[in-house]
Amino acid sequence: MELVEDRGSQNPFKPAVSFDGRTLKIKRGDFDAVIDTRARTGVVKVSPTEQCLDAFLRSLLSFLLIRSGGFMLHSAGLVKGGKAYLFPGISGAGKSTLSKLAAGSGGGGVISDEINILRLEKGRWRAFGSPFWGEMRADGRPGSWTLGGIYLLKKSAANGISICAQAQSYKTLLRCLVNFSKDAKTAALVMANTARLVSASPAGQLKFSKENADFLRLIG
Amino acid sequence: MSVKIRKDLAFRRVAGEMFIVDSAKARLHELNGPAALIWEGLSKGRSEATIVPAIVEEFEVDAKTALADVRSFISELVTAGLVEGEI
Repeated sequence: MELVEDRGSQNPFKPAVSFDGRTLKIKRGDFDAVIDTRARTGVVKVSPTEQCLDAFLRSLLSFLLIRSGGFMLHSAGLVKGGKAYLFPGISGAGKSTLSKLAAGSGGGGVISDEINILRLEKGRWRAFGSPFWGEMRADGRPGSWTLGGIYLLKKSAANGISICAQAQSYKTLLRCLVNFSKDAKTAALVMANTARLVSASPAGQLKFSKENADFLRLIG
Repeated sequence: MSVKIRKDLAFRRVAGEMFIVDSAKARLHELNGPAALIWEGLSKGRSEATIVPAIVEEFEVDAKTALADVRSFISELVTAGLVEGEI
C-alpha cells in the first residue's frame, strides 16, 4: 500500500465505499483510497493524522471482514478464563464503563472498549484484538480468543443475567455492526454473517451496576 | 396490484421476524406476524390472490379482513418507499 500525504478537508466526514468486484474505493474528506483487491496493491492519499489513519483502517477492515464472513462490532470485549466475551452497544450503552470496571478489578482483561473483531474460523467464532479504542485510549490488545458469549448491556442498580430473545439480539448486533458500504450486497452479507453468529452464540442480557466489577462473576 | 420490492434492499427472516436493511437511508425495519408474511410473498413475486389465502390460513381471519390488511400494509410499504409500483 502506497501512502501519499494529502491533508484534504474535514468534509465529507462519513466514508463512501464502492466496489466493482475488483477495485475498492474508500473516500472521505481527508483520505482517498483506491485498492486493487486482486493484485493486493493500492494508493491511499491521506492526511497525516492518527485520527485519519484510524478512520481509514476502520473503513478498510470493516469491508474486508464482512466479505470474509466476519465483522467489526461496536462493543466492549473482555477476556475471562481464556475466552472472549463481547458486550455490544451503541454510544452511551456502558461499554467503556464496563471496561474500566473490569480493568480496575483485575478480573477480566480488556480487548477493547470500543470495537472488537469477530471472525468465523474452522466453524467457531473467534474474537480478535484491534487497534481501535474508545475512552480508555489504551494500545490495542493483540491476540485472539474463542468467543465465550455475547451479552447486551443494560445499566442497572443491581447485577443480573437474563435470556435475550434472538430477534432482539439480532437487531442490536445489526445496529452495532461497523459497515460503511451502502450497497445491498454488503447489507445482505452483513445480515447473513450476523444471523450465523446469533445462531451459534445466543446472546444474553447483562444488567450491571457501575459500583464495582461484581458482574464479572456472572459471566463465563 | 403490481408492486415490487426495491432492488437495493437486503432482508432476512430471523427468529420468525423479517428484518429489512435500507442501506441508502441507513434504516433498519422489522416486521412480524402478517406483515412479515406479506413481505415474504412480495419477495417471491406472489400476487394478492396468493398472499391473502396464506394470511387467512396462518392467522385464522376471514378473507375480507385479510384482503383489507394486505392492501393497507402494501400501501404503507409504498408510502415508506420500500416497494415500488401500483396497488
